[in-house]
Amino acid sequence: MRLFEKMLRLFRLIFFSILLFSGVSAVLLVGIFFLALNDLPRVPEPLSRIIETPPTEMIAATGERILIIGGRDAVPLNRVSPVFLQAVIATEDHRFWDHHGINKIRMLKAIWVTLFEPGKIQGASTITQQLSKNLFFSFKRSYVRKFQELFVALQIESQYSKREILEAYVNQIPFGVGALGIEQASRTFWDKSAIDLNLGEAALLAGLPKSPTRYNPYLYFERAKARQRTVLQRMVDVGYIAQEQADEAFTDELKLRQKPAGARTGSYYLDMVIKHLEERYGPEIVYHGGLKITTTLDPQLQSLAVAALQKGLKDLDIKLGPPSGSETIRPQGAIVVVETTTGAVKALAGGRDYFESEYNRAIQNHRLPGSGFKPFLYYTAFEKTGLNPATVFVDQPVVIPIAGAKDWAPQNFEQRFEGPIILKKAFTDSINTIAAQLVERVGPQGVIQTARRCGIHSRLAPVYSVALGTSGVSPLEMASSFSVFASGGIYHEPFWISRVEDAYGRIIEEHIVSGEKVLDKSIVYQVVDMMRGVIDEGTGRVIRRMGFDLPAAGKTGTSDGYKDAWFTGFTPTLSTSVWVGYDRDINLRTSYGGGFTGSRAAAPIWADFMLKATEGEPKREFPIPDDIRFEQVDPVSGCRAGASTQGSIRVALRKGQIVCEQDTTKIIPPD
Amino acid sequence: MDWAEPKNTREWVVRIFSLRLMLMILMIFGILISELRFDWMEQVLGAFLVKTNSLRPESGTIWEINRQTETARKTLEQIVTDRQASQREARSAGSFTEISANLAADQGVMLSPDDFRRLYLELPTSIAQEIISPLDILKIFSENRFARTYFEKQGNGLQVYFLDPENRVLQRMLIGADLLDLMDQSEHDVEGNLDGFSKFKNRIYPADQFLNALESLPEDSRRNVLPQPERLLLAGGRIVRVGISDETVSGNIELGFEIKVGASSRVVFIPGREWAVWQIRAKLEGKKIDGAPFPDSKS
Repeated sequence: MRLFEKMLRLFRLIFFSILLFSGVSAVLLVGIFFLALNDLPRVPEPLSRIIETPPTEMIAATGERILIIGGRDAVPLNRVSPVFLQAVIATEDHRFWDHHGINKIRMLKAIWVTLFEPGKIQGASTITQQLSKNLFFSFKRSYVRKFQELFVALQIESQYSKREILEAYVNQIPFGVGALGIEQASRTFWDKSAIDLNLGEAALLAGLPKSPTRYNPYLYFERAKARQRTVLQRMVDVGYIAQEQADEAFTDELKLRQKPAGARTGSYYLDMVIKHLEERYGPEIVYHGGLKITTTLDPQLQSLAVAALQKGLKDLDIKLGPPSGSETIRPQGAIVVVETTTGAVKALAGGRDYFESEYNRAIQNHRLPGSGFKPFLYYTAFEKTGLNPATVFVDQPVVIPIAGAKDWAPQNFEQRFEGPIILKKAFTDSINTIAAQLVERVGPQGVIQTARRCGIHSRLAPVYSVALGTSGVSPLEMASSFSVFASGGIYHEPFWISRVEDAYGRIIEEHIVSGEKVLDKSIVYQVVDMMRGVIDEGTGRVIRRMGFDLPAAGKTGTSDGYKDAWFTGFTPTLSTSVWVGYDRDINLRTSYGGGFTGSRAAAPIWADFMLKATEGEPKREFPIPDDIRFEQVDPVSGCRAGASTQGSIRVALRKGQIVCEQDTTKIIPPD
Repeated sequence: MDWAEPKNTREWVVRIFSLRLMLMILMIFGILISELRFDWMEQVLGAFLVKTNSLRPESGTIWEINRQTETARKTLEQIVTDRQASQREARSAGSFTEISANLAADQGVMLSPDDFRRLYLELPTSIAQEIISPLDILKIFSENRFARTYFEKQGNGLQVYFLDPENRVLQRMLIGADLLDLMDQSEHDVEGNLDGFSKFKNRIYPADQFLNALESLPEDSRRNVLPQPERLLLAGGRIVRVGISDETVSGNIELGFEIKVGASSRVVFIPGREWAVWQIRAKLEGKKIDGAPFPDSKS
């Protein structure tokens, strides 16, 4: 009997303890309630107010809508596929229709798991709680915030019907890839309206809100499929569908909408546009103003540019071999495409993957262009000194004394000297000693002034070596400045926004496509003719080997120690600059020591892109000014070529510029 | 109520199964079960919160977005209103100088070809010719692609772009600050007399001497010295003196006509073509006509 009494005592103790605990809890709860009530937010009335923010839209030059920032394409519940609603309810809150804002059983279970299963955390938020959290609270976690979230959920449940709550919920959940709400998500991922979703599509979408980035089907399709499987299984467990339906939906082929590479948040191009707008109008207007921004982006060219850059960098990874030691740093790259007749930036990629690195190397990176800067030097020399492409210089060791500093003795890339050679050949073969002789004649300021006229805004050091590209510039500057050569000396400021309108279509800003004549068109043509030589028979001939046969001109560039590889070139309509290199101070060399020049690393990317970008285009020649004539000359003597001349070269000459006859050799010695 | 501990098992059983305890347990379970079944606590709390909703602050993400939206809407409205106002002002402007005066440094306005034509036709022939020849204007107007004109400040001058529907510049022209000043002066009479303007110093002639000299010039020269005689007629009063400026602006020399109206006098400025003014000045100074333009001319 004593044992029985002992048990009764124990039972009594437990009973009163529970009673006491419950009492204290109730008091605490009341306290917390009033504490949380202090700054509990007001719930908007009606709930549909949450969708009143107008979206800012970005439109491609082709008229295609490429991005929506903020705002939502809200749809009533009867315009949403029932299977999607079932999928969401089964996954997020299967007792949604029964509870009053909180699922007490699930909550107790979650508390149990959190307290007694270390390392595990179980969520118990109902759809209403999630709605409350998304509408009013930040993602900062605190107990008071958790209670506030819960209380607001209770209010929402008391104030609105279940259908209103569900409608608000599905219209505001983020699905990733910039899609907010089911209608946007449905259009973004499947290119259809939310009412038309089938079971497989609905299940995949319903799985995304848990972690839109982690389950992004464009990036991690397998993960997204696994999540779809979980959702389908939940629907079976809850009784919405049969196992066979789930299996069938899982095996159904999913046709994700093919999105252009630039048309997503996380695109270097759109990032640049958004930053520009933020600087001009402020973030509030960009994200909440409901602007309609017409960009200059050509989605097709953008896709091609991104693909060419990524492929080129992958090929380079293979050629460079595995990274040494534990280093996993890979070379980066950038590509910019500018329309030569307007300055419109048609495509831009600032790295191999935006999600790996948001640093936009196309505009923020100022890297040494190496010989890519020589067109400015040759133009300056032709303009200031009257030299022409047939003028002969001697390729030999050059030492240029510099007051107060060490003499400058530039070396040729090939480490050998050609002797007498005409300027066109010196340009196409990128001979540094001759470039040095030219810059000595015209002075670094002359070269800098020409570069400035063409739109190079970066800081350029006023030293002789500036002519060999020893001051950093961005790929955007290179593409834009080379377009001056493509357009016969007309500079168009690069731009990426054509028009900005407000939500009612009233124009706020529009770009005026205005060109300014900055260079002489005849001299420009002479330089362009030499730049054509680079592609036809010079350092960029890999481009012809890859099958690109349209008239094009360009220049390779490699900085000292193979740290930067460039190719910037143009057709009469498109100017494209490609840069490849490491973010850190690392050389583009294989483990065997072989280096990657602009010709090996950047030109193939340029060719790959331009081949596809100009596919089907007719051959368009660069317009030849009236005072230009052509002569075949001997590359060594610069004299008119005769029948017996070996390897004669065609040069473009301006009115009054003459070449010597075959038997005379005129060599201009270095000063 | 007996608070002492039961002394034996029987007493334990009696107390456990006492009506009071049973009722209490039943009540507790009743409350718990009814809460689980009917969610009355949530409903009570919810109802209370609905009642006090209007007393609570508009805080939290959604309200913040709402405020930002409102600010953005107001700012945009202001931008659009300003833009529309400057468009309206430009459309109703009577001259290029008026457009220039109303434009801020970073601002531009878009006008229709008809607006441009109207402003151009308002100009004195000599200045109009200087900005862009009527033939060039005709050429631009006959282009199918010509859609709009865009005006923007450039320094103190006014840059005018002729645009196609895609905003590509077909042609542009710059109306320099000097020319704008000239237009401004030619549009406005100034109270006072010629002695108040240093540019006419030593080149002020009695009206009859000037008019006689003008009369002696060939018809073409007369028209180019005084391209807008109607402005003098409109001014009323009597011309007493005429001054010739010592500056040449874009091929024009300004003439100042001092007009006496009652007791007061005012000056009317009219630009004349440089070559013709030079002829009348030579006449006035009794020089031969075949000479160089004034040495201090700046164009």
